[in-house]
Amino acid sequence: MAEKLTPSAQIGQTNSAQDSSVIIRVEHLGKNFGENEVLKDIDFYVNKGDVTCIIGPSGSGKSTLLRCINLFEKPTSGRILFHGEDVTAMRKPPLLRQKVGMVFQSFNLFNNLNVLHNCMLGPRKVLKLNKADAEKTAMKYLESVGMAAFVNAKPRQLSGGQKQRVAIARALCMNPEVLLFDEPTSALDPEMVGEVLSTMKTLAEQGLTMLVVTHEMGFAKDVANHIVFMDGGVIVEEGTPEQIFTHPQQERTKEFLSKS
Amino acid sequence: MIEILCEYITDILIGVGYTMLVALIGTIVGLIIGVLIGVYRTIPDPKNKFVKVLKKIGDYILTAYVEIFRGTPMMVQAMVIFWGFAKLNNGQTLDVTVSGLIIVSINTGAYMAEIVRGGIISIDKGQFEGAHALGLTHSQTMFQVVLPQALRNILPSVSNEFVINIKDTSVLNVIGFTELFFVAKDIVTQTYKTFETYLLVAIVYFILTFSISMLLRFIERKMDGNKNYKVLGSQNMDAESYVKEVNNG
Ligand SMILES: Nc1ncnc2c1ncn2[C@@H]1O[C@H](COP(=O)(O)OP(=O)(O)OP(=O)(O)O)[C@@H](O)[C@H]1O
Ligand SMILES: [Mg+2]
Repeated sequence: MAEKLTPSAQIGQTNSAQDSSVIIRVEHLGKNFGENEVLKDIDFYVNKGDVTCIIGPSGSGKSTLLRCINLFEKPTSGRILFHGEDVTAMRKPPLLRQKVGMVFQSFNLFNNLNVLHNCMLGPRKVLKLNKADAEKTAMKYLESVGMAAFVNAKPRQLSGGQKQRVAIARALCMNPEVLLFDEPTSALDPEMVGEVLSTMKTLAEQGLTMLVVTHEMGFAKDVANHIVFMDGGVIVEEGTPEQIFTHPQQERTKEFLSKS
Repeated sequence: MIEILCEYITDILIGVGYTMLVALIGTIVGLIIGVLIGVYRTIPDPKNKFVKVLKKIGDYILTAYVEIFRGTPMMVQAMVIFWGFAKLNNGQTLDVTVSGLIIVSINTGAYMAEIVRGGIISIDKGQFEGAHALGLTHSQTMFQVVLPQALRNILPSVSNEFVINIKDTSVLNVIGFTELFFVAKDIVTQTYKTFETYLLVAIVYFILTFSISMLLRFIERKMDGNKNYKVLGSQNMDAESYVKEVNNG
């Protein structure tokens, strides 16, 4: 397998069998932690511009699925294709991760760096931008999440909502093709959930491809164009928000939605 | 006591100089050894079988190094290394100052390896994941994100090692290194004022360790930086003027 991920446009041309609008395709993905089978035969794909929300009860394997996609976890079976290229056996995961960003529940801002340098580190070290360009990029995205005024602050000096907006800006600075979100608002006080969700909504409207694990059903209904409902390590049902929220077919989906 | 101080001030200052030199360099080199070992120990398991075996062997060697040097007295290590070198070299001994620096450095390195490892382990896993998620490699993650935080956290332990080294270099008198304690012994043979001389030297040691402790604590506080930050401009300012303001202040 080629170690260098070719830019999407080229792959679209060279790989005619593949629909070029599909960015990520997950095929028969399985993941065990020892005896514990956490993901079973997962199949789905993400199109360019899709906002996919993954919902489901705690322990259903949502985080594990997301972590498999950016190679934080090694799948036990199956494949993950990025623009048609199998990345599961990839030698250099950093090459994938610079195109598939991730936003965490716990923010994971770098505690030793201020807001500006949090956002500049990736562009500087991974994209090899010079200082001025990295700073310009950082400021652009910090501004877009409304955090430009806080460039000098250290993470510990920010509220949860502010931290998460900086974390989103930091991920955007890499200009990723897909952004993964793992319960980005679950660690926030209720009054801060809104500011983060509205930031994410704006990104969705700008056409960013997003894969969001969330318990915020309002956001899923409103913003997503594709919903995946998981339970017990399998995809129970997927479809448009209308299909899942208004006309769910499976009993388990109905039961889950009635509770949340 | 004052007389001794006046008469032997140059010798005492030379002793202080050597003591501080070997303590400072030993601590710095020891810290570098500790960081290298700490980073080596956190390298993810190599995929290549052969490299994996090599890394395992390296692990065993480092463990042996750390355990042996922590498990034997530095005075004995000094003798073994100093005379061991002479034996291998047809009776020709290594320069005493160089020997002293080497002994204190590798002894300190063994302690620092554990301190640094503890510092790295104590860093939240999220810091690694945050960096990896951007596409940073393991070494970029270590040097840009993890080590700066780990080093800040272990600074009190590193300071402590430095203070310990100021005192423990006194054992180097066994190889004839002219540090403070060696100077004291020398003064006693000339003056026969045993008590006064050692009391004086005790005071000098204390002044050294106490002032260094204070200095390092001051540096620690400085490193934590500002408690407050300045919110720049108005919320609606454009990116360019922000950058300007950041660069100005
Ligand atoms: N590193 C791990 N080692 C062992 N088991 C794990 C590990 N990570 C997750 N699991 C297990 O895998 C299952 C699925 O976990 P996962 O975190 O993916 O669920 P989730 O759907 O994200 O749940 P939540 O909504 O609570 O975040 C759980 O039973 C969990 O205990
Ligand atoms: Mg989860």
